Amino acid sequence: MVRFIARRLIQAIPTILMILVLSFFLLRLAPGDIADVMAGESGGASEEYVEQLRQQFGLDRSLFIQLATYIKNVATFELGYSYRQNMAVSELILSRVGPTVILMLTSFAISIVLGIVLGIVAARNVNRPVDRLISLVSTLGYATPLFWVGLMLILIFSITYRIFPTSGIEDIAAFNEGFARVRDIAWHLVLPAVSLSLFYIAVYTRLMRSSLLEQSKMDYVVTAEAKGLPRRKVVYGHVLRNALLPILTMAGVQIGSMLGGSIIIESVFGWPGMGLLAYEALFARDLNLLTGILIVSSVMVILINVVVDVLYAVVDPRIHLK
Amino acid sequence: MESFAKNSAAFSSGLLGNWSTDRRQVLKALVGTSAALVTGAGFTGIASAQDTKTVVALVQPDISTLGQYLSSALATSLVASKIYDGLLEYDFDLKPKPSLAESFEVSEDGLTVTFKLRPGVVFHDGKPFTSADVQFSILEVLKNFHPRGSINFKEVEAIETPDELTAVFKLAKPAPYMISALSGYEAPMVPKHLFEGTDIRDNEQANAPIGTGPFKFVEWRRGQFVRLEKNENYWQPGLPKIDRLVFRYIPDAGTRTAAIESGEVQVAGFGAVFYSDVRHLETVPGMEVTQKGYEMISPVVEAHFNTKRAPFDQVKVRQAISYALDRQFIIDNVWFGFGKPATGPISSNFAATGLYTSDVRNYNVPDRVGQAKKLLDEAGFPEKEGGIRFEMTIDPTPYGEEWRRFGEYVIQALNTIGIKASMRYEDVPTWLKRIYTDYDYDMMLSWISNLADPVTGIHREYHSNSIRPGAVFVNATQWSTPETDALMDQAANEKDPARRAELYHQFQKLVVEAAPTIWIMELQFSTVTSDRVKDAVVSPLGLYANFAQLDIV
Repeated sequence: MVRFIARRLIQAIPTILMILVLSFFLLRLAPGDIADVMAGESGGASEEYVEQLRQQFGLDRSLFIQLATYIKNVATFELGYSYRQNMAVSELILSRVGPTVILMLTSFAISIVLGIVLGIVAARNVNRPVDRLISLVSTLGYATPLFWVGLMLILIFSITYRIFPTSGIEDIAAFNEGFARVRDIAWHLVLPAVSLSLFYIAVYTRLMRSSLLEQSKMDYVVTAEAKGLPRRKVVYGHVLRNALLPILTMAGVQIGSMLGGSIIIESVFGWPGMGLLAYEALFARDLNLLTGILIVSSVMVILINVVVDVLYAVVDPRIHLK
Repeated sequence: MESFAKNSAAFSSGLLGNWSTDRRQVLKALVGTSAALVTGAGFTGIASAQDTKTVVALVQPDISTLGQYLSSALATSLVASKIYDGLLEYDFDLKPKPSLAESFEVSEDGLTVTFKLRPGVVFHDGKPFTSADVQFSILEVLKNFHPRGSINFKEVEAIETPDELTAVFKLAKPAPYMISALSGYEAPMVPKHLFEGTDIRDNEQANAPIGTGPFKFVEWRRGQFVRLEKNENYWQPGLPKIDRLVFRYIPDAGTRTAAIESGEVQVAGFGAVFYSDVRHLETVPGMEVTQKGYEMISPVVEAHFNTKRAPFDQVKVRQAISYALDRQFIIDNVWFGFGKPATGPISSNFAATGLYTSDVRNYNVPDRVGQAKKLLDEAGFPEKEGGIRFEMTIDPTPYGEEWRRFGEYVIQALNTIGIKASMRYEDVPTWLKRIYTDYDYDMMLSWISNLADPVTGIHREYHSNSIRPGAVFVNATQWSTPETDALMDQAANEKDPARRAELYHQFQKLVVEAAPTIWIMELQFSTVTSDRVKDAVVSPLGLYANFAQLDIV
């Protein structure tokens, strides 16, 4: 197991390097640079000002020199400097990882638990009204755009009923401390986490339902029933365990796509995470920051996939890690 | 709170245990947990901000720096103008009022301007504010690093400091416009002792500024908020009236409106609230909406021709298209009525100082389409098969959805006079490079702020020395004439107000006749406030003023 993990991590290095080089060049294909944007924001600036910015940011040097400098820095865990935000990229990202992780883990937990539960309910009541209702609702959840769900929840719960705050991670007029702050953050988390979860609940529900139904037609089910096992033990002891494997696969994939979804949710709810940071870095052509975020998120996805691979072996003893 | 803990415990034990048998219990715990979250946490939300007077204002877009001396970006200016004071403030007629300078005197020849500074003013770190700070701020910081500093203080050759409270500006030529450029927004006074001997652009002050203004910087959490607290030692006794001022960033326009409507935010201005939402908020009880407070910004919506590219190098073609656009239609349908038709390059807000004239060629006439067609025929573009004279591309500025609507209207309007137009919509850096570096466009739609004086706000669009590839928001039409250049140069250094106005009147006539630009409308930004907030807008700089008098009840 340890050797497996070590090998997977070593394999990840060329992947990350490729992501780095590719994103470095792809991002620089876009016309215009950060000096243009900063001058534009100032509502008129002299050309000396723009040239001064370009020189300071090293944009007047050749691309390959810029790339070489960048790789050298990344190798020493130095992600460069965001000239727009006047801060080290690593520092900026570090301050934003927390909110994104909180949001993603909460949504992940909500969606996987509810998805599995609803999937089981649907599969055990296949073709009955309950199943139909769950299918209908999950199709809706699957098809509704994330930003719309977010805005509707704000409209209902923040404006009409005034239960939850519209946006942000905490009450910035109050500046709570200690436990009051934790509670305040949890309260702010409800709407974004629910919005981000709806889509994935639908995904898991449908996957769980079909996976359970598929497994229940397997020979081992007949064997188990022939042994005289009660229905409940067959379902929860055998079928469920096998049916969980596709869910695990999906979970690995989901973490990556959740990072994408969190960009939308974070900007709708003003949730100060990495997604929001990426969104802004893109429009400001803050390429150091953007590349930094891409590297950090790809490392996160790779790590999570290693964890998922290990979990496979735990859930399914037939799989051996080599 | 106890019920919250109990429910979570029941929830987790249910989850870990044999949960198939007690599904009901799990469900009950789930419902209980969320209910506890709602009721328990709802309590803290309401209890906020009772003993300290706190105002929350929106900042949009996000802040990239708080160094007002480095950037005049909207977000920077909204926040930093509360931290810094300038030498002067202005009344709604754009006339100067005392601030850090108690008085000033311009010499007969206009070459010496003497400022008497207010005694007893201290920076937020306790060090006194003196004439040495004025000298350093203007000559070492603003003139070199502020985006407009080299224009505002172009003629300032030296600043003498005979004593701590006297600053004497020595000018190469008279510069009447400079007096309009001394607000905390345009020319913040920074502490010399914290900048001297440092790299000014990299100075930490850009992240944690220290000024003499009514509010002190406390905390900036990027992507979330900036928190300022009352400056207890502010030079105006009794001010500021509130204890805490928070600027909050919310990226999504819909959410911003919701935050105002729910009362989480009490002040929002410029484009922070979308025009259609302003119309909605006007009808919500407890909201106040005003268009005052943008008189020193004066944004004008314009369409610019690339006058170096055929057929837009022909005056008649440009005039024809100027006739073709229905200004009132654009105001009503694209900007929800927030504007008034513009007549020329100088905003009618300058009527207060006499610089504006409406006595120019009027493109907003009843027979607009007929005039346009006639001019196009004369210019040698008759209707060919399909009624088309020629084709062109429109590049709206990518700073908001309304610009795309505007572009769609222009396409239709041009269609009625036989011009087939198409639209290109790109992101900000791409657009800026296309227009201001490559000049690769036919007609672009944008806006320009006229600011406090034509020298800073308007010359940049029409002067030949503003045709500078790479510099943004300057002369992109590449149009200029020796005559208009001369008028601008003279007006810049003319110290007699009546004579200066006359020069600008001539300038307006000539430019409007040549039509390098179509002046569509004077855009009216709206400031939305909760009716609990008093005196948010007390100056022509509106939300760029220092909020010393802002109050909340």
